Formats: sequence, C-alpha cells, structure tokens
Amino acid sequence: MAYRNIKITKGSAGFGGPLIIEPTETRNKVLCVTGQTISPVAKKIAEMTGCELVDGFKTTVPDDQVAVAVVNCGGTARCGVYPRKHIMTVNVEPVGAVGPLAQYITEDIYVSDVSEKNLSYTDETNASAAKSAAEELEAADAAGDNGPKTKDQAKADVAAAQEGQKQNLVTRIGVGVGHVVNKFFAAGRDSIDMVIRNILPFMAFTSTLLGIISASGLGNVIANTISPFCSTLPGMIFISFICGLPFLSPILGPGAVIAQVVGTLLGAEFAKGNIPAQYALPALFAIDAQVGCDFIPVGLSLGEAEPDTIEMGVPAVLYSRVITGPLAVVIAYFFSIGMY
Amino acid sequence: MDIITNIAQGFIGWFTTGGETFTGWVTNIIPQIVCLLTFMNSIIKLVGEEKVERTAQKFTKYALLRYTIFPMLALLFLANPMGYSLGRFLDEKYKPAYFDAFAAFAHPVTGLFPHANAGELFVYMGIAQGLQQAGYELGGLAVRYFIVGLIVALFRGVITEKIYFHLTKADD
Repeated sequence: MAYRNIKITKGSAGFGGPLIIEPTETRNKVLCVTGQTISPVAKKIAEMTGCELVDGFKTTVPDDQVAVAVVNCGGTARCGVYPRKHIMTVNVEPVGAVGPLAQYITEDIYVSDVSEKNLSYTDETNASAAKSAAEELEAADAAGDNGPKTKDQAKADVAAAQEGQKQNLVTRIGVGVGHVVNKFFAAGRDSIDMVIRNILPFMAFTSTLLGIISASGLGNVIANTISPFCSTLPGMIFISFICGLPFLSPILGPGAVIAQVVGTLLGAEFAKGNIPAQYALPALFAIDAQVGCDFIPVGLSLGEAEPDTIEMGVPAVLYSRVITGPLAVVIAYFFSIGMY
Repeated sequence: MDIITNIAQGFIGWFTTGGETFTGWVTNIIPQIVCLLTFMNSIIKLVGEEKVERTAQKFTKYALLRYTIFPMLALLFLANPMGYSLGRFLDEKYKPAYFDAFAAFAHPVTGLFPHANAGELFVYMGIAQGLQQAGYELGGLAVRYFIVGLIVALFRGVITEKIYFHLTKADD
C-alpha cells in the first residue's frame, strides 16, 4: 500500500518540530516505546502513514527500518536515545532538550508534548481540513474492521500490537502515576532552570552591586537622598511620575532590572529603619510605574494585535502611565494604612 | 607596600559584603522559591494550557473582569511573558488596555505566586527582604500587594482603554 507523509507539530508545552515523517518501502515502522501500553499517538501515526506499528517493549526492529519512534520519556534516557541514533522522535511528554543526551535532541529530529491533534497530513494546508481528516479517521475507527480497505493493513497491525493488552486497572494506575510523576519531574527541571538562568544571575549581580555601594560609602549618600523621598506620599508620587514619563519609561523598563535594583536598594533602607515599614506598599508601586513600557510592541504582537493597534497602542499605554503611575501610589498608600 | 596591601584588602572587602548578601539570599530565598515554583509548574502542566485558555475566555466580556481576572489567570497559568498571548482572545480595540493591565499585575503577583514572573522577583523581593530583616512579617504585604495590584490593573485597563479610544478617534 502507499505510504502517506505526515507532519507532527509540538504541543502547547512542547519543544522542537515540526517533523515531516516520510515513510519509504524500507523505512516503514512506527516504533512505540511507551511501556505497557501502546500510545494513542503512535497508533494514530501508524494509521495515518500506513506504517507498521511495533511495540518496542516486546520486539525490536533494525534502526534503519524505523520511520519514527514514539516515546513517553520524562527527560532522562529515551528522549535522547533515538535522536542520537538519528531516528525521528516523538515524545508525548512535554520535555525539551534535557537529560544526559540533551545535545542530540534538536528541533529537526525531535518534537514533544505531542497529542493526536498535533498530527496532520502534509498535503493539507489548513487546520480545519486536518481536523476533518482526523474526524474521518475517528469515524473509520468507530466503524471497526469495516473501515476503508486502504487502512486495513495499518489497522491489522494496530490490532496485532494491541493484542493481549487489555488495559487492566493496575496498568492504568501505573500509566496514570507515571504521567503525573513525569509532569512533576519536568516542573522541577523548569524551576531549577529558572533559578539558574534568571534568579541566581540577578542575585549575583545585585549583591555585588550592593556590596560595592555599602562598602564604598555610596550607601550613605543614597540613604540621605532617596530615603527621605520614599518616606512621604508626595515624594513617592513624584518618583512614580518621573518613572512614568513617556520618554523615560521605555528606557527604565527593560527586564525590570532598574526596578529590581531600586527595590533592593530601598529594601536595605527599610532594613535599617531609614524608611518606615508602612511605606513599603506604596514604594512598590512608586518604583514600578514604568513596568512593561519597554515591551509594549512585543507584548501586543504576542496578543496578535494588528500593526495599526500597535502604532496607537504604544502611546496610549505610555500616556496612561503618567496618570496611573501616581494614582497607583495613592491607592497603595491608602491600602497600606494599618499594615504595620 | 603597606599602602598596596591596604588597598587590596579594602578592595576584597567590598566583595566580602557582597558575598554575604549573596549567601543570605541563596539560603533564605532559593529553597522556598524552588519548591513553590515546582509545585505551581506541576499544577500548570497538569491543568494544561487549553483548559486555561477556555476558562480565561469567559472573563473577557466585561471590563471589570477583563482587566482583573483575565490577566490574573494569564499570569498564574501562562506567566510572563507568554500570558500576553491571551490578548488574542480580545477585540482588537481592547488589546492595548489588556497589555497595560497585564503588565500592571506582573509584579504584584510575585508576592504570593513567584512562578508567574520568576525572572523579575526582586521588585517585590528586594523590598520584602529589607522588611524581613527589620523583623516584619511579609504575609500582610504580599496579600495587599496582590489586591492593590488587581485594582491598579483595573484602573490601568480602563484608563488606557479610554486614551486608546480617544487617540484612534482623533486619528480618523
């Protein structure tokens, strides 16, 4: 029978892809390495391409016959093994280029967080067409063995692979637990990643800066100039007004670095008692009137805004800050009453 | 020679202070943040993006929800910066206001939910650390920061919306 090419895209939390699977006469097997049960994704790939489905936990096939491998790896071994062997790899878990074999996991050979709806035929261009094709297949599925002749072989393979695989309760619990544990593991990895890539570098930079400032005597200058400002409502309104000026706010914005450094400097003054504690809340808004002002066009385009919207949206946000910056301080000031 | 030694010692001394600050942050802040981040990231992964998007869309109709609950869900489940992408569910004319509301809440959210903007923690954390050193409890500040953040997000949303409408009308 003729093989069909399919395109596999990543899921919402996925990495890599899209992969184009092009089975040939020799490279015509879908290798499913997902533990006790066959992944529905592998099943669907086999159906769509017309490839033979092979359960990697029961048998093996030579690497050069594998069109695509389907794994459910939480990020240690399997997700890297197949890319390393230059086999196209589909991971049903949302795992990126991680683990001991991370260097082999590249976007041209690996795609993750894949579910059935990420599969489409390459000759179909729009999503709705892909969807209707998928529905058609599902309908064919429901029709059982009486489905279209062209799919018979694929279906037989699927049935064979599924044989003796009545999902009993223990297996289902096992798969369920594995799924949850994988997600927790991936979440832990994301958290550590975030700490290493963003939080620790900022701590390193700011603590160095703070050390220099306090050891060099600059700290006293700041304590004598900024602290009095932050100890009165008008002073803080003034700061927020400055931060919100349309020509300053985009410069002060990037990465919130300035707000973070100023926050830390003020923190030191709060610690020493130079600024009364109840001013913490309004101060948080005073130093942050510029938040996101460097990011307006990017943020709007992330929201798929039209160019016209962006053109007028940028000044709208910038002008608004002149009013809402000081306003935020006043609101915060009233909410801080009775806090400490 | 003594002068050089003194200068060298003074120079090293600057970084000793910095190092102490750094150690303090790493031991006081990071362990808790790591566990909290892991917990929230797990929940986000278990819930799934599609469900969040479907739920969030229900909060786009009224300004009161559009500039409070909607950006809050975006931040809690998609975090900064991907939460901006939920703007695509809004009418074109509301997008700048949504941006402003989202940005306004991007730091107030970190007092209670640091995962939502873990790269920019120190706006809150910097000040909070100082208060902690001075012996204050942080719970009250974090909760108030969160609430005022929502109010400010609403104000920013409504005011930016008005300004945007005004600008585009003047443009026609």
